[in-house]
Amino acid sequence: MKKTIALLLVLVLAAAGLFAGGAGESTGADSSTYVIGFIGPLTGDNANYGIRCSNAARLAIDEINAAGGVDGKQLQLIAENSLGTVDGAIAAYEKLVYSDNVCAIIGPVFTSPALAVAQRCYEDGIAMITPSATHRDVTSVGDYVYRTVPSDSLQAEVAAHYFYEVLGYRNIACLYAMNDYSQGLAEGVEEIFTELGGTVSAMETCMVGDRDFRTQLGAIRSTDAEAIYIPNYTVEDAQILEQAYQLGMDLPFLSSDGFSDPEIYNLAPDFTDGVIYVGPAQAEASTTLSDFQAAYSAAYNGDQPDSFATNAYDALYILAAAIDRAGSADREAINTEIKATTDFSGANGIINFAANGDMIASQGVYEVEGTTPVYVGSFQVVDGSIVQVD
Amino acid sequence: MATLVQYLQYLLNGITLGSIYALIALGYTMVYGILKFINFAHGDILMVGAYTGLLTYTALLGDSTNPVWMLTAFFIAMLVSMAFCAALGMFIERVAYKPLRSANRLAPLLSAIGVSFILSNGAAWIFGAQSRRFPYPFDDTPIVIAGLSITPHQILTIVVSVVMMVVLTLFVNRTRMGKAMRATSLDQSTSELMGIDVNRIISMTFAIGSALAAVGGILCSFDFRVYASMGTMTGLKAFVAAVIGGIGNIQGAMIGGLLLGVLESIGAPLLGIPSALRDTIAFAALIIILLVRPEGILGKNEREKV
Repeated sequence: MKKTIALLLVLVLAAAGLFAGGAGESTGADSSTYVIGFIGPLTGDNANYGIRCSNAARLAIDEINAAGGVDGKQLQLIAENSLGTVDGAIAAYEKLVYSDNVCAIIGPVFTSPALAVAQRCYEDGIAMITPSATHRDVTSVGDYVYRTVPSDSLQAEVAAHYFYEVLGYRNIACLYAMNDYSQGLAEGVEEIFTELGGTVSAMETCMVGDRDFRTQLGAIRSTDAEAIYIPNYTVEDAQILEQAYQLGMDLPFLSSDGFSDPEIYNLAPDFTDGVIYVGPAQAEASTTLSDFQAAYSAAYNGDQPDSFATNAYDALYILAAAIDRAGSADREAINTEIKATTDFSGANGIINFAANGDMIASQGVYEVEGTTPVYVGSFQVVDGSIVQVD
Repeated sequence: MATLVQYLQYLLNGITLGSIYALIALGYTMVYGILKFINFAHGDILMVGAYTGLLTYTALLGDSTNPVWMLTAFFIAMLVSMAFCAALGMFIERVAYKPLRSANRLAPLLSAIGVSFILSNGAAWIFGAQSRRFPYPFDDTPIVIAGLSITPHQILTIVVSVVMMVVLTLFVNRTRMGKAMRATSLDQSTSELMGIDVNRIISMTFAIGSALAAVGGILCSFDFRVYASMGTMTGLKAFVAAVIGGIGNIQGAMIGGLLLGVLESIGAPLLGIPSALRDTIAFAALIIILLVRPEGILGKNEREKV
């Protein structure tokens, strides 16, 4: 009896599997929709980033579909959970590309998964646009990778120049997590800050997921550093700010675009005042950004989008325009059209891609007052010194 | 001089961290002492304790900013959380472990791992993935003495842990129930012949261990925040602390916890190694301790009973 039931179960499961597989293929082949994949962390410590990015992408799709879609066809987003890990992202990629038959991918959200997925995109010939993976090596993997977020090397360059030239620091310390994103930024800033003639007196490290940073902060306190650079995600940064206060340290903190996630103001609202961070430049005289923020907030119960979500929104529109020009779901044609994007006007302003797929952009500097980031201005490094663009 | 203050600071931070590990290690060690079984769901009990404490505290507090009520509400929340976790611990034991008591030794272990997943995934599903702050029930302005900084919540952590450990020691050594627990851990079947209700003692052990985990969970959420997977790493470290101290030995768990906390905090700067390797150093030191004393610091070298 038990065996019969087990056998029946197996049959039902197999049938369900067949059906799901069949359904996946038919969506891809279905001529009335274009299927787009999204890969990002939807659960776990850093789910805030993935959820906001997928929300923004979904918002863009709803807007496009409401306006008649692309070529009269509807867009469809399939969001897969990467768990924020390389393994999770590869599994998500395989489902999207081989089973759901998507025509292009938005994501992955984090650098390490993006590096892994970029390699697979190159092998399979499918375009990916990441809204948030900033490591400089991401776009050097093959010819199918784009990003609507400035590369770390650009961010690190502007950050180091700003700290040295504008803020006048000559001696800083870094406290960063051992992941590609944080390490890339910290080492980039160290290199350029030292070239400028400054000293980086401590390069303190922690593991992702660490919660206690008192030892590292203690070591920094015994150096002559005038400020601490913390290019990490919000979970780590929140703890670092709070524990520095608890240790009685009053050194100013500098950070990176990871700090633009408003989650930091939920986690450490009493300790964010005075933090200066380098992040995305704000578009001037454009209502696209405020329209997007209002629409996002209305669609998602008053939640505010972070800068990566804004990038995901732009990425989706760039992709939709490329699909429109390609006129089909052909992956190769879509890739060619993304590459041909010129002067795309989105929530982040005018976007162009460099030959390697990097976004050409200036960087924004923000100073936090209480729990509100105040925009200082847009900066670029021209001929080895920093220039305010607007 | 600056370095001396620095090292005292590391030591202080290590003791705070270590007293939390010690509280949680007690649960592992007590259960092991009696059942010879590692309760891998213990770490997730501390997560449940932290959430229960957080929800009770915020519900009790409402919009109040009265400092006396804040502290009172905090201790009420801690008691509620202890009671809830004690009940949960007994329930888990009854449902997931007791039916397997006579089964092969691996069965309850796997059952415990299953319970652990149910609790942490359940919490992620109910409370969402983002971590939450546990608001301080008092002004947490650090007190700085001669460059050495200590915060009120660190003092609270150390004081509450010490009180809990003293109470537990008195309970185990001075009460009838404690005596019955010690007897059961020495020899279950003889204790049963002597008229001790072994099932009740086992339930009691789970209740006490889980209540202590609830306290540990609340205390560590000031520093670590409250999130669904918070019990995994903290629980693992507390388990290691229990093994180092000599699993099954209550004083051993306390010593093991403190030692692990201090090693973690002071190991990397002492050896001049990158701080990212702090756990590596702490665990390497523990391997060395175990190589020298496989039974743990206070563990007894038990001969196989015939």
